[in-house]
Amino acid sequence: MNTDHPNLLKLLAATRFVEGISHDHLQGLCRASRLLKLPAGAKLFQEGAIEDEVFVISSGHIRLSMNVPGRGDVPFLTTGPGELVGWSGLIGDGRMTATATAIDDTTLIAMSGRRLQELCDSEKELGYVLLQRVAQVLSQRLLSTRLQLMDLFAGEKADT
Amino acid sequence: MTSPTESNRSVLFLGRGQLNQLIRALADDGYQVVGPTIDQAAIVYGEITSADDLPIGWTDVQEPGKYRLQRRDDEACFGYVVGPHSWKKYLFPPVTLVATADRTKTGWQLSTPETEPPRYAFLGVRGCELAAMRIQDKVFLGGPFVDPTYQKRRAAAFIVAVNCTQAAPTCFCTSMNTGPRCSSGFDLALTEVADGFLMEIGSESGNVVAARLNVEPATSAQLESGNAARQQAVDQISKQLDTTDIRDLLMNNLRHPHWEEVANRCLSCTNCTMVCPTCFCSSVNEVPDLTGDHVDRERSWDSCFNIDFSYMNGSPTRNSIHSRYRQWMTHKLATWHDQFGSSGCVGCGRCITWCPVGIDLTQEVAAIRSSQNNPSVEGAVNSSHDNEGVS
Amino acid sequence: MKPAATAHPHNPWLAHAVRISRMAAATPGVFICDLVFQDSAVAEEYTFAPGQFNMLYLPGLGEIAISISSDPDQRDCISHTIREAGNVTRALGELPVGSALGLRGPFGSSWPTENCIGRDVVLVAGGIGLAPLRPAICHLLAHRERYGELNLIIGAREPSGLLYTTEFDAWRADGLNVHVTVDRANSDWHGAIGMVTNVLDRLWLRQPENTLMLTCGPEVMMWYAVQMAIRRGLSPESLYVSLERNMNCAIGLCGHCQFGPQFLCKDGPIFRYDRVASILKVDDL
Repeated sequence: MNTDHPNLLKLLAATRFVEGISHDHLQGLCRASRLLKLPAGAKLFQEGAIEDEVFVISSGHIRLSMNVPGRGDVPFLTTGPGELVGWSGLIGDGRMTATATAIDDTTLIAMSGRRLQELCDSEKELGYVLLQRVAQVLSQRLLSTRLQLMDLFAGEKADT
Repeated sequence: MTSPTESNRSVLFLGRGQLNQLIRALADDGYQVVGPTIDQAAIVYGEITSADDLPIGWTDVQEPGKYRLQRRDDEACFGYVVGPHSWKKYLFPPVTLVATADRTKTGWQLSTPETEPPRYAFLGVRGCELAAMRIQDKVFLGGPFVDPTYQKRRAAAFIVAVNCTQAAPTCFCTSMNTGPRCSSGFDLALTEVADGFLMEIGSESGNVVAARLNVEPATSAQLESGNAARQQAVDQISKQLDTTDIRDLLMNNLRHPHWEEVANRCLSCTNCTMVCPTCFCSSVNEVPDLTGDHVDRERSWDSCFNIDFSYMNGSPTRNSIHSRYRQWMTHKLATWHDQFGSSGCVGCGRCITWCPVGIDLTQEVAAIRSSQNNPSVEGAVNSSHDNEGVS
Repeated sequence: MKPAATAHPHNPWLAHAVRISRMAAATPGVFICDLVFQDSAVAEEYTFAPGQFNMLYLPGLGEIAISISSDPDQRDCISHTIREAGNVTRALGELPVGSALGLRGPFGSSWPTENCIGRDVVLVAGGIGLAPLRPAICHLLAHRERYGELNLIIGAREPSGLLYTTEFDAWRADGLNVHVTVDRANSDWHGAIGMVTNVLDRLWLRQPENTLMLTCGPEVMMWYAVQMAIRRGLSPESLYVSLERNMNCAIGLCGHCQFGPQFLCKDGPIFRYDRVASILKVDDL
């Protein structure tokens, strides 16, 4: 049982990530979670590292970047309240595909990927809802990446 | 102005020899009389100084992609249907000066031409053409902005309608409720019979002109032969366009594969839009003189079939022929209703006759309609996506 | 026959003589051009609503439709934010202050500022799409007390493509939450990275059902901003988009700017989303 539990439950319940998840299940999630506060500039995880935790942002913003030799750290996405980061810890092999840095003072709910997986295995209904949530997050992430790739502002408003 | 109804309209008779009187009376009133005349193997509209300029004894033979002149076995002046011209070339000229710019010491003097419009008397306006004028009135005069060129020319025009006494296989005015009978929108209306013309008066101006002609009240025998002549046109109309819910039919089928099928035949040549009496697309072009100190802004007829017409952001919006044909047909038959409260088609058949490959819009609509009624036909696969269409 | 004609005081083809009073570089390839009327009587009479556009005319070169980007209450000049993209805009960009040109306008529909009264408003701008929203921002902030929460989400390709950055602080001070996001940046950029849709996704909305969204930018961006707004609980009737097509006459007579049943020049450029929703995703319409 996590000592932060009452506050943690409140913060988690307030995020849009868990909209529609029952109170019982939320309590279950909280048992696998801890509260994490990061000051601006602090790294949450490093690209290439193996992490067990996945994070839901309660407040603040996390910037995701990748290191490209010769170009340094290239940021590609800012995530904010209610969003999920570090999902490789839940559905991947735990190896992070980006570096995550807090760009302001950030509060996160850190969930143990291993314990979440156990929870999902034992409570299939929660597992289903949770993975549906993750899939939604990823589909939005994929869409916004695609839109960035389209370079929509490249050729706007030309006349003859 | 309210038109006299047919019942209380006194019908006059103008002898065949007196047609010149009418032309002269109009010319005496300062009108430039324009009417049907033969040029380049077609009956077109041009300046008329006497009845001799009319296509006396000639008729037109039309079918999809075909137009030929043929001798008649009588001396009828108006014994044809419609040719490639329409009256829009006088009211909405192919090239119009809309504005000018002149360089001055302090900048540009920007002006619009204030010239007096030509006063035209149109001789030989068909029922479908009266309908086309009503439609273009909505376009050029009915919106928040009025086109001054059209407005002045339209207001100055005197209209002598001539009822059709025959129809071409390309005619479908009865489907569009635009003819063949000329029922309103004219100053005078003629029906050609063997020895002359029955004349109806449609306005006070028409009355004034008629009063100066050697006309007499039509006899019942003359009225009877007029009815028979007009009925002949009605009886000859064979083409139909089913307009039931046509707006929704087309707008719910914007992704129908049939557009692509038409595009395989359509040359995107713009002929249909040039001969159409209601098409109004245009472009304004800069025409500077050699010094660049004087610039004319010229409006020319344009066409939604021209690839540049939808040019935006470095490329045309309607890059494919299928999208351009779809634009033309859905505008003419569907979105025109949203924009102007009526169809944009009057059923004159010009777009069918003058299409070099004989595309017949009535058949293209029928093809889309039949695929709706018969799910096994092409397009049915797509229809489920298209039900969201515009409403 | 004398058809009934709508009386209109002006010949719609007549351009007013204007002069460039200020030229300023804005972002790469984009400049701001302030115009004053030569005739003070015309200046006196000229008013526009946020979102409307003018036809700017360079004799010999042609006319282009450019949205107005100045404060509608500002009376001394009319401002246009212009991307150099074709012959006319490139030539315009090279003109010195004091040059004369022609102007017809204003034309088109405007942002529904009346409908915004008593409601929360989210403005979503992409790239130069912020230009036609700027008059709406000025108007909303000039009458700040009439509205609820005001949020502005600005997206751009990169930080250098952000318009009006010097005004953001003043807008914030006047009660507009300004959120900026760019498609790409290097690590010295401290703002957000990602699409406007990402920002809209996490934007705190206190009453989505009573919130309006006004959006202008690339059509694809507006489409996904609209989809996100609907996901967030805004109603399709409270979403407004600004569309673009080739405009030639600006007075609904030439046919160029048709988009389905709409003439963009007179029925648009600003539409309520639900009125154009069914045709927005029809290819090549």
